[in-house]
Amino acid sequence: MKQWIRWSGLAAFIVISLIVAALFLFVAGPLIEKGIETFGSDAADAKVEVDSVSLSLNPLGFVIHGLTVADSRKPMSNVLQLDTATAELELAPLFLGKAIIRDLAVDNLQFNTARTTSGALEKKAAQEETVAEQTAEKENNNSVLKNVELPSADDILARESLRTEHAGNEFQQSYASHKNAVDNALRNVPDDKALSQYEQELKVLTSGSFKSLDDFKARKKKLDELKARFKQDKAAIASARKTLADARSDISDKLKALKAAPGDDLKSIRSKYQLNAGGAANMSALLFGEQAGEWAEKALYWYEKVKPYLAKDEQENAAQETARAPRDGRFVHFPSADPWPGFLLRNAQLTANTASGNLLINAQDITSEPSVLGRPTRILVNGSGLKQVEDMSVDIVLDHRKTPGTDTLTLNIKDWQLRDMNLGVAGAKLASSLVQIQGLAVVSQGKLNAKSDAQFGRAQFRSQGKTTFAKELGLALEKVQQFDVNASASGKITGPDFKLGSDLDKQLNAAFGARLKDKQAELEAKLQAKLDQKLQRYIGDYAGKLGEFNQLEGTLEQRLSKVSQLAGQNLEDYQAQKEREAREKSEREKAEAKAKLDAEKAAAKAEAERKKKEAAEKAKDKLKKLF
Amino acid sequence: MLSMLAKLLKALNSESAPGQIALAFSLALIVALTPLMSVHNALIVLLAFILRINLSAFFLGVAAFSLLAWFIDPYAARLGESLLANPALVDTWQAMYQNDFWRMTAFNHSLVLGGLIIGLLAAVPVFVLSKVLINLYRHRLLAWFNKLKIAQVLKASKFYNLYKSIAE
Repeated sequence: MKQWIRWSGLAAFIVISLIVAALFLFVAGPLIEKGIETFGSDAADAKVEVDSVSLSLNPLGFVIHGLTVADSRKPMSNVLQLDTATAELELAPLFLGKAIIRDLAVDNLQFNTARTTSGALEKKAAQEETVAEQTAEKENNNSVLKNVELPSADDILARESLRTEHAGNEFQQSYASHKNAVDNALRNVPDDKALSQYEQELKVLTSGSFKSLDDFKARKKKLDELKARFKQDKAAIASARKTLADARSDISDKLKALKAAPGDDLKSIRSKYQLNAGGAANMSALLFGEQAGEWAEKALYWYEKVKPYLAKDEQENAAQETARAPRDGRFVHFPSADPWPGFLLRNAQLTANTASGNLLINAQDITSEPSVLGRPTRILVNGSGLKQVEDMSVDIVLDHRKTPGTDTLTLNIKDWQLRDMNLGVAGAKLASSLVQIQGLAVVSQGKLNAKSDAQFGRAQFRSQGKTTFAKELGLALEKVQQFDVNASASGKITGPDFKLGSDLDKQLNAAFGARLKDKQAELEAKLQAKLDQKLQRYIGDYAGKLGEFNQLEGTLEQRLSKVSQLAGQNLEDYQAQKEREAREKSEREKAEAKAKLDAEKAAAKAEAERKKKEAAEKAKDKLKKLF
Repeated sequence: MLSMLAKLLKALNSESAPGQIALAFSLALIVALTPLMSVHNALIVLLAFILRINLSAFFLGVAAFSLLAWFIDPYAARLGESLLANPALVDTWQAMYQNDFWRMTAFNHSLVLGGLIIGLLAAVPVFVLSKVLINLYRHRLLAWFNKLKIAQVLKASKFYNLYKSIAE
């Protein structure tokens, strides 16, 4: 047995193991430092620098000293920097090449600190110029907004194509055309003189007895000729009446359109030049859109940066396992209370110093294999010690245990004393406000669905703009004391659609409405007056002539009636006239005889009465004598 | 430190019985068929140092069998996969998985398990075969080994000179 054992081999093994361990400890620090700088720079797209990394054996772990992460969009500042980050490792998983950090403690984490040298990577230099150009263009756009001025009534009327002018020209052309047609039609219509002539001629023809049959025939012939002329006249009058009716109808329509045109013009100008409060409809998006967009862009930017290193869907992990060569083998995991994924940060406590106060960040279960760990990654940010915020909490859950994974962010901000928030339009600022914010964002399958509600109370605005628009905006905002802003984002995470709504629009509508009421009335009155002038220029001279048209209608009616009446007269039949005359003579003689008889009867009656009266007188006298 | 290591190697190679060389090959086979950085390989290396076997043969065997492993690994991984998924063994694996020591052995890695099973099964035939061959060709084998380039390189190294000076 003794010949098979050599105890010196044990010593050799220990010595060699110690040498290997010593070499590892010697190079591990610089290797970790290099790894953080290389992979960190790729991830952040800007320089990531580490002062040093030291290893410790009890407890097993490492300490990162002086870590800075430059801002890829602002190379002269750091997104974050920290003094020390102490990581405590678990030994057993290290034998399997698995890095499981039991605790990570970070001291003096700061955001947005200044750098003395540029943190831009070389490849980024060219892109920065493009960003600078875009920023300049954006500022130019803002300056355009700041210089908004309302034009004068004359300017507006001069630059606009007015319906009033168009309708006026149409009206004039229509009148001229129809006037000509009516005049032509009237030339064939008999006038009063002609009608009088007709009457006289008819009287001659129809009065008196026919002297003879020839006389009758001659009159008959002349009457027929007259009737033919009456027929022509009636047709001429009917034609004239139709022409006149068409003219009146068409001209009335044109006149109606002309009279309505100034109103339409005013309406069109009003909406176009936003003289009403409707111009404030999108004001909240204008005021808060840029700020909200910046916040959202920043959040999405960092989400995209950090996401690949936080968690992967089970499907992605499975795909990676499949892609791995079969000869390499794989770990088969079983249910356990303490699983060992490839990388796991069990617990991280970070205290971040910001200008607004300290943020306490607690991260749990950050892993590269969530399906192995069986728990989602959770990050809690608490801002209870912030200067301007009563309480703030951000709860981030990255759940990629199953496919598709879901990332959820819940935000709650209570009593945020917001001060001097630059609204970016017309020099307007939200001087102070007490804000409550609730937000929820969910990312799944590369799609974002986010919604946040913010309630702004005790709002005080300030506007320093000099333009009319800025002054009016400032005065309108003065009346707003509280408002809500609702923001939502949906669609692909790389380019979601943002929507911003607020009851501020409604309030600004009212405030703008009040402020613009006088100016609107003044400008609209000027516009109205000028449009009325134009209207009168078109229809002023024609009003009387249109009256003539109406009068002419009555005249034609009378003339038609007269001609119809004249045309209705007929010449009596010769035989009938003779019979009538005989009958009239007989009746006349009978009447004379009757009159004579009646006279004789009356004389006899009078005589009888007289005699009766005399007898009565005599009787009275006799009676008197008796008494 | 180098002189101390040379003294140790001199003591290790003082006797090279056929069984010692054959055992070196057997152990080398197991190391070669499984991922190098694993706990059982550390134990085998420790055994190689403690047991009076030929270390040169052991390291040469690891190199030689690693070439063989390149062909065997896919089958070994498949074997390990099937064993880990075997319903009759799942309870065992689950019980072992709850223990940190067993998990450190990477028994739940398909290539480690498959390679170890094949290595252990092949170790005995390799030991017997190697011993027979060594007994038959003892002198030819040593002469062949001494002619190997790697042996010459080792002999030309400062470390070997130091070892030789100490050995003499």
